[in-house]
Amino acid sequence: MNPDGGRNGAPLIVIRHVRRHYIRGVDDVHALDNVSLSISTGHFVAFMGPSGSGKSTLLNLVSGIDRPSDGEVFVAGQLLNDLTEDDLARWRARHVGLIFQFFNLIPVLNARDNVALPLLLTHLNKAERRQRAETALRIVGLEERLDHFPRTLSGGEQQRVAIARAIVTDPDLIVADEPTGDLDARNAEAILALLRQLKNDFGKTVVMVTHDPRALRFVDDAFHLDKGLLLEGEDAERAAAAIHLAAGGGTAAAAPRASR
Amino acid sequence: MKYLGLIRANLGRNKLRGALTGGAIMLAVVLVCLLLTMPAGLNAILDYVSNNTRISVHNKGGLVYQMPSSFTRKVRQVDGVAAAMAQTWFGGAFEEAGRVTFPNFAVEPEQVAAVYPDYPIAPEQLADFQRYRDGAIVGRQVMHKYGWKIGDRITLRSTVWPVNLDLRIVGEIASERAPMLWLSREYLDQALQAAGRSGLGTVGIIWVRASDPNRVNAIMRQIDEMSRNSDSETACETEKSFMSNFFGSLQGFVTIILIVTGLVALCIVFIAANTASMGVRERAGEIAVLKAIGFNRRVIFGTLLAEAVALSAVAGGAGVLAAIGLTRALRVFAGWSDTLGPLGSFIVTAPVIVQGVFLSLFVGMLAGVVPSYGAARKSVVQTLHEVF
Repeated sequence: MNPDGGRNGAPLIVIRHVRRHYIRGVDDVHALDNVSLSISTGHFVAFMGPSGSGKSTLLNLVSGIDRPSDGEVFVAGQLLNDLTEDDLARWRARHVGLIFQFFNLIPVLNARDNVALPLLLTHLNKAERRQRAETALRIVGLEERLDHFPRTLSGGEQQRVAIARAIVTDPDLIVADEPTGDLDARNAEAILALLRQLKNDFGKTVVMVTHDPRALRFVDDAFHLDKGLLLEGEDAERAAAAIHLAAGGGTAAAAPRASR
Repeated sequence: MKYLGLIRANLGRNKLRGALTGGAIMLAVVLVCLLLTMPAGLNAILDYVSNNTRISVHNKGGLVYQMPSSFTRKVRQVDGVAAAMAQTWFGGAFEEAGRVTFPNFAVEPEQVAAVYPDYPIAPEQLADFQRYRDGAIVGRQVMHKYGWKIGDRITLRSTVWPVNLDLRIVGEIASERAPMLWLSREYLDQALQAAGRSGLGTVGIIWVRASDPNRVNAIMRQIDEMSRNSDSETACETEKSFMSNFFGSLQGFVTIILIVTGLVALCIVFIAANTASMGVRERAGEIAVLKAIGFNRRVIFGTLLAEAVALSAVAGGAGVLAAIGLTRALRVFAGWSDTLGPLGSFIVTAPVIVQGVFLSLFVGMLAGVVPSYGAARKSVVQTLHEVF
């Protein structure tokens, strides 16, 4: 496997034998244990699993928020292990768009200014930042809400603003942590459809952590984790089928492929 | 500059808290500026008089002892003396309480212009001072304090001499540094004779102006030499030295003022630091998100610190302006304070403004640096774990 940054059909994300453990109080917590996977450019994938399975830790590693204790994390051709905290911040600003469960918009900024926040880290002038933010908001269907503050937007609209903020820098990778976790069913489906649209229309690679079984209808692949391990083979198939059935789907065969 | 919008938006986040903190800083700056006007007023007087060539000639035994009036004529004949003016403390009380509420002296009107060429007095007013026996020239602060204007007639009841003098105000010393009243020695002399006294045969201080700054020391030596072994030996000193000695007792008060000023500044640092800490704590989630989307430690630290400094700077600027307005009002309505003396000049000088502005910036920096550093220092994953 050649982690060459997603060019020529190669994977955008390559994770090799990653472990992540940390000390919490007197406990040595093994959040991830020998996880290896790859995610192709332009794919929409989900990390799924029960609480404490390590899926959020894995997402943090993929997005450059955290660094592994052992192993290697390549994203867009960059080995993230070697980067300092500030280098990682710079790298994230350039390559990653982040979406959070609780939207996490700045309440004192309107939708346009919230979306334009990551652009403050670029060399764009004010007019260019404004224009790009408006374009991003148009993509997520909020061109009528440019001057609205977060408190005047619904949960679904706030999450759309957050998605616009994630795509405004045109990143290689969009990372979403439980993006539907705080939304009702209708808005959750709309957000999942929007993420899918980003993948389909703009070729974005989208990685998402979710408990939401509806997500399986939108993603290309789902990685199942449990107790810090990436499930493989029959274990992964069983996990996928269970989630699919919980979502009211048909047979296990109709579920998305559990990837390795 | 591109972060200004974010900083401005965050400053308006909690308007009540921002206003209260800003108000506290503003009041502190007002108080500090007011306190600093006191030593600044004293320093301004001393700096002002350090540039002139005036010499004070008074009895070696102290200011309560007099010298014969005839000594003034001898002093005028000393080589290098441009002019000399006899001055005697009148100690006149204007208010019914009978206290002396501003310094007032009997002087020689025809010598004023030559000895005090630096005092802004209109020539026609000086001429009137010489023309009218009962004329008086009054400092601007005293004029303001009592609402006097030129042409007004007033009566001063002396607490030193057994006379009351009716005076007509013929001129104003248009300066904040001369809060006093001058009347004519001749008028006092005649009034004393009319009261059955022998007249004004003595003088308290002879003010001398040297024609050349380089001759000042020689003149002082010569005058003191002239009076040696007489009944009234003199002690000459420069005007700056005279003023320093005269106001020497105020130096202790000035020290206390400076200590209080420092404590006020420290208190306001704690208040502002508490506000900054609360603001950072409340926004921990937002700061975590900013870090996650790529804001590095420098930017986080800089924007948070800029918020604290901006709030302090705005409040400090308002405080300085308020202090200027307040001191103007104090000068108009309170005038010369016989208790505070030159400390009560209440003039917000340029150094006081600079100190007020620097204080507010210093408060902002000091108050903001710890919480800003704390927020910036943590790793993004640690911050996210703490808040989500």
